[in-house]
Amino acid sequence: MLQQSISSRASNRSRRDPTAPLRHVDPVLISCIVILSFVGLIAVYSATRGPGPDFSKSYLVKQSIFMVIGAGALVLFAAVDYRKLHDWAWVLYGATTFLLVLVISPFGSQSHGAQSWFALGPFQLQPAEFAKLSLIGALAFLLSEFRGDIDLRRLVAVLATAGLPMALIMLQPDLGETLILVVITMAILLVGGLPTKYIVALSLVGLIGVLGALNSPVLADYQRNRLTAFVNPGDKSNKALYNIEQSQQAIANGRLTGQGLFDGPQTKLGFVPEQQTDFIFTAVAEQFGFVGSAVMLLLYGLLCFRIWRIAQVAKDSFGTYICVGVLAMFGFSAFENVGMAMGIMPVTGIPLLLISAGGSSTITALAALGLVLNVHMRRFQ
Amino acid sequence: MDTSSPRLRMSILGVVVLGCFLALFARLWYLQIMEAPALAVQATANRTRTIATEAPRGRIFDAKGRVIVDNRTSLIVSIDRNELKKVKNRNELIARLADVLTANGTPIKISTIEKRLTEKQADQLQGAPIAADVTEEVIHHLSEYAEDFPSVSFERKTVRVYPYGTAASNVLGYTGRITAETLKTLEAGSDPDGVVKSYHPDSIIGLAGVEATYEKELRGTPGVELVQVDSKNRPVGTESYQPPKSGNDIQLHIDIDVQIRAEQALVDRLAVLRGTSQRDGTKRGAPAGSVVVLDPRDGGVVALATAPTYDPQEFANGISQDRYNQLQNINGASALIDRSITGQYAPGSTFKLVTATAALSNGLIDGKSSIYDDGVYKVGNPAQEFRNSGDQKNGNVNVVRALTVSSDVYFYWLGDRMDGTTLIQDAASAFGYDKKTGIDLPNESAGYVLTKAEKKALHNKYPTAYPNGDWYTGDNVQLAVGQNVVAVTPLQIARAYAAFANGGTVYQPHVVWKILKPNSTPSKPSDVLRIIDPVVTGTVTLPPDVRGPIESGLEGVTGPTGTAASAFIGFDLSAFPVVGKTGTAQVDGKADTSLFASYGPAVAPRWVVTAVMEESGFGSEAAGEVVRHVYELLANQSLTGAGTATSGTRD
Repeated sequence: MLQQSISSRASNRSRRDPTAPLRHVDPVLISCIVILSFVGLIAVYSATRGPGPDFSKSYLVKQSIFMVIGAGALVLFAAVDYRKLHDWAWVLYGATTFLLVLVISPFGSQSHGAQSWFALGPFQLQPAEFAKLSLIGALAFLLSEFRGDIDLRRLVAVLATAGLPMALIMLQPDLGETLILVVITMAILLVGGLPTKYIVALSLVGLIGVLGALNSPVLADYQRNRLTAFVNPGDKSNKALYNIEQSQQAIANGRLTGQGLFDGPQTKLGFVPEQQTDFIFTAVAEQFGFVGSAVMLLLYGLLCFRIWRIAQVAKDSFGTYICVGVLAMFGFSAFENVGMAMGIMPVTGIPLLLISAGGSSTITALAALGLVLNVHMRRFQ
Repeated sequence: MDTSSPRLRMSILGVVVLGCFLALFARLWYLQIMEAPALAVQATANRTRTIATEAPRGRIFDAKGRVIVDNRTSLIVSIDRNELKKVKNRNELIARLADVLTANGTPIKISTIEKRLTEKQADQLQGAPIAADVTEEVIHHLSEYAEDFPSVSFERKTVRVYPYGTAASNVLGYTGRITAETLKTLEAGSDPDGVVKSYHPDSIIGLAGVEATYEKELRGTPGVELVQVDSKNRPVGTESYQPPKSGNDIQLHIDIDVQIRAEQALVDRLAVLRGTSQRDGTKRGAPAGSVVVLDPRDGGVVALATAPTYDPQEFANGISQDRYNQLQNINGASALIDRSITGQYAPGSTFKLVTATAALSNGLIDGKSSIYDDGVYKVGNPAQEFRNSGDQKNGNVNVVRALTVSSDVYFYWLGDRMDGTTLIQDAASAFGYDKKTGIDLPNESAGYVLTKAEKKALHNKYPTAYPNGDWYTGDNVQLAVGQNVVAVTPLQIARAYAAFANGGTVYQPHVVWKILKPNSTPSKPSDVLRIIDPVVTGTVTLPPDVRGPIESGLEGVTGPTGTAASAFIGFDLSAFPVVGKTGTAQVDGKADTSLFASYGPAVAPRWVVTAVMEESGFGSEAAGEVVRHVYELLANQSLTGAGTATSGTRD
């Protein structure tokens, strides 16, 4: 009934055609996206307005602009049949790979010790964010072509496809974004039918790789400290611990119902570093308490559930793999970002999609959700 | 089961994602519900800083209600030398600071700053003070451009002001920053009165004089401001503020006029005598001395002078090591010692009060018992000779005349007769010579009056310092005239004469009279929190047949035939009769210690005045003169009715 009333104002064609895409928009997913984006704007504003009395609105304005651009991207990525991406996947992959090379050349800019963005006037373009989406496209293409039949040669092809952007992003270096690509690749391989023996083998290689990296000069000291801080919370010599302590105190300060909007002292006084991005969850948790942050996580969970469901009802495996990739992207960014703020995951700077401030990540996230909606809308075509 | 079935794989993925979210919820519950109270405490500590503001100390009034210690605010600029070592462009910084100070009303040269930086502080913890009493403009500039002035800090200090300059500095003492060791002993809960006045490392504490003994009263309760700070430690607001509360005022028995007169008379006389020769040709060093004025009716300390002395103001902003060393050697004497309570001197003939009391009260003599004094007294076989000062022959003397003319021979005889007993020591003990007086000032010394047993014990303990452990008749003979085996403080002498003057009551001398409310008006009875009651520490039995002859003898001392006659020429003794005893204590290789102990007026005495002067010669010519000058002021006060407030409201 509800769907009918929504679509009553739609075109004549859709009224007549039961498979018309506009009749199959997922309202739950869209509601989740709208509410979470709104929560994100409030969180970003509260984390960046400062203690006053001259409250800064610059982050709020910027993030609103990104949301609008992102909404445009969402519509675009939902409107054009996702199967067209089948043909464009490699173009997108090639373009982002080129940008990833370009960003570590002198054309790119540095901040916080990582050369990861292009300066475009007042905005910053982070190709690593777009790489997530283009990798999802490329891997979905590959695995849908393989049709669940993956031998070692094909596995190597997949790993090579995933490995190139990972390697380029590690050169910036950006450990967090690389980890997201790893998780996306693992998820698509899992659902794409990678034989169990390879899964076991890859897991072993991954485990050895992580342990090896932690004990080798590949990682800088600060990276190692950040990664291990949550394991040894008593180690006072570890600088990364300060951030974790501050963020956990801010979260605890929220108690059951929160300190109230704009009334979180830790948030207001800037005790939590990078609060508008990596530690955005603390702003939500301190101001809205357990009730508010649990509701936000539930919305996030619902969003993931809808993506998971769409992956299952997709018309073709290409659509399924796209959804699985996007699910991995959202699921991991939530688990890593929120987990880090609460001290149960290592400190790696990745945004909480839709909530954290940031143009490239917001636009990518909305575009990715557009694709998922696309898959849902066209599941009968 | 097909482990590669897409449905199963999707389920696995779903379970993993669900597991992740469940982990997040669990942790969220733990942090916000279970651990929140503990973490919230940490968070509060994290974003608040406690700023303690020292409260003004209580003021100090003299007996007539005049402010003798006051407060004022001083703005002090200082440099932390350890921080300065880390500054790159050190010289530019100092030049910049000199410019700012000079441009804003505190002219200073770069070389002066450099000099202040090299001066060693007595207190190494403090930053080197560069300029005191700078203008508000300087402070504005320094706080506005704080980044340009690393290692430079400023503070608003309440500092002590002394309207009467150095007067009574030994009584008042001084304040200074608390030491780390003291701070430890003062930690909360250790205060026996339960008054926790939260000291912190920058706290100012009384370090000497009544500032130290009445620290608890004088110290105010610091203001505590709980300031909210942001992550860069910049204050953004106040969570709570408890303003500082001034300390209690105190009022002393000290009459600042009498104090100044005593100090001046002492310093002047020492200066006159210094470098001259006494009768036997020994040069007078006259480096130091003391004057004590007590109220014999309650033990109130009216004046307590010591020379040389120091300016407490020099300690207010931190004193340099050089100056500190200098103060320890002024004409060969330290200015940092209060001789009136810590100096130990042979009392000389002033001790004859004790010997006479012992002899009279034990019936060895009466007022008329006389011997022939030919200037020499012989003891033992082979005879050891003890002589009068200047070999003077006094002819027939009884105890009255012996006191007036200071016949040593008469007292040698008494000492000889009392040998083998502790009668003199017992009398000395009754007058309080064997223990500290208990005055409310720090670092008091006790004298000693040795007995046969004590001399033996001393010898056994320190065989080199006391080579002879036996008690000879000669020892008792010397004791009778206050030499060799006896040493006392000037305050003990004054207290003994006060006890004699008031008929036998030995009071504990007291500097502080009243504890007043903060910011009080001393004349308002409602501002008095409490009065320090006189404390009686003992009595001397002085029946008329004991006190009478001694009093007569002492009355004669200032008279025409007395030993202090010359000192009182021109003083109207009929209007204000002074009763006293001179003393001239021999010190090996140096000029004599000059002593004079007295009280007046003779009937219903109100003041005991004693003076003790090192290497200054005969009793009357040094100490007698000083005491006479003090009496001139007291007699004037007494006759014009301008008595001390002490006597005005007491009785």
